[in-house]
Amino acid sequence: MIPLTELEHDALVEIFNIGVGHAAASMSAIVNEEVKMSVPSISFLNRASAAKLLSNKDDERICGVSQHYEGAFNTEAMLMFPENKSLEIVRLMVGESVPLQELTEMEQEAMSEIGNIILNSCVGTLANIFQLELHGSLPLYHVGTSAEILSASGSPDDTTVLMLHIDFLLEKQQIRGYVAFILDLNSLQDLKHQINRYLLRSTGSA
Amino acid sequence: MTETGSMQPDAQRLSLLESVLSAANLGAIVLDSERRIVLWNRWMERHSGCPASAALGVDFFTLYPDLLQQRVGTAIGQALRDNFPSLLSQTLNKAPFALYANAALRGERMQQAVAITPVDVAGATRHCLIQINDVSNAVGREKLLRDQTLVLRTETFLDGLTGVANRRHFDVAMEKELRRAKRIDSALSLLMIDIDSFKSYNDHYGHQQGDACLIKVAATLAEMLQRPGDLLARYGGEEFAAILPETDAAHALQLAEAIRARICGLDISHARAGATKHITVCIGIATMNIPNPVDSDALIGAADRALYLAKHAGRNRVMAQSQGKARQEIG
Repeated sequence: MIPLTELEHDALVEIFNIGVGHAAASMSAIVNEEVKMSVPSISFLNRASAAKLLSNKDDERICGVSQHYEGAFNTEAMLMFPENKSLEIVRLMVGESVPLQELTEMEQEAMSEIGNIILNSCVGTLANIFQLELHGSLPLYHVGTSAEILSASGSPDDTTVLMLHIDFLLEKQQIRGYVAFILDLNSLQDLKHQINRYLLRSTGSA
Repeated sequence: MTETGSMQPDAQRLSLLESVLSAANLGAIVLDSERRIVLWNRWMERHSGCPASAALGVDFFTLYPDLLQQRVGTAIGQALRDNFPSLLSQTLNKAPFALYANAALRGERMQQAVAITPVDVAGATRHCLIQINDVSNAVGREKLLRDQTLVLRTETFLDGLTGVANRRHFDVAMEKELRRAKRIDSALSLLMIDIDSFKSYNDHYGHQQGDACLIKVAATLAEMLQRPGDLLARYGGEEFAAILPETDAAHALQLAEAIRARICGLDISHARAGATKHITVCIGIATMNIPNPVDSDALIGAADRALYLAKHAGRNRVMAQSQGKARQEIG
């Protein structure tokens, strides 16, 4: 199941940490307050196991923001939080507001923007480091069970999901979320190939 | 290539697209790879007050210099350079463009939701499209919803007996005020106010009179805490808490002393109160000063310790705890 060597794996974790670092800086600028983000670990799972990782209970509602990227490799990227955590993030980002039971239309839009910033930063850093060009779609907002959200792109059950754990630190509150990259077999190979090209470049020709 | 009718299909399509763009009920701006404005639709003319003739060919950031350093600038860069689209929500970006319902009258800026997407143009370098939607109505609707929720919630946030804020309200307000104090670099003080020998008051006079005493004390406290932002809450039993935004230690001490004197002056008889023979309070003060921000638990803990020290030193006292050191102020 794990298609990467330790070296490839570490390189990817490092790249994603640079990516969320950029995202955190953009978000700090928006809220005028320090936002910290890190990716402590990544893992490769099939879609069903990824869905299980996201929610302890089958019916727990997850809020997700997805964007489709294509070019040097194709992927459906998704930022996901348990619904109550997404309420918390938006509330912390927006500051003063009366929290309602669910995200309102405008708050969903804010959540989509947060997803947009994080996903573009992660994929953009990958693209820059791999020196390639990708094209992205505008973000879409989803609410549902983790299984529903992960299957929204119509990929088969055994599709590989590259799962990033993301830790947010906002005003001393730590919130754990996930970014999933849904990769078909070709894209997975393309990704592995790109990591190796990068490693070769960065460690020199020796 | 087939050609039907008298009008050339390409010209016809172009004219159709132009009509659609000028009829569209959203703002559309297209920038070329040099960030020059190459399209500025009718909606933009109407709501910005800037005619297309004045906008076309101009560097976008000459027209909107302040947007360069903001998320709009980053998003344009990302679209042109990285080929990535961006969404700018109304909530996180307060009306970035100077657009008005009526550009001639100006007034308040229109609430905006903005999407900035890369556009590939055959035979040219990449362009980007800026779409602006007027979301003022949706924002207004949500404000109404929040206002009504706030009214309903306020009712469930009151203490049933005394009518002042309850513990739940206090917890929410405490977090909110601490965050606000840190954002605006301002001090925040907390008073913990406890009625002396209240258990023996209840034992001696009965619970009904005990309740009446609580109501009287709460009303007196509420009367003294009238500045906007001040919040008096029943913290539990015979204990009240007052959140005092933008109040430094000296000012809080002054206020606490005034409260202590006022409650003492109410002259509510208390036969079991020892020497004073009437109802008195002890007050513990904690102040957060901006160079040393603390969380709510720490601030409440500090006020509690000050209150404990006041109680220990006798009745009818005010104590302040500041930066970990307690000092007795009034005996």
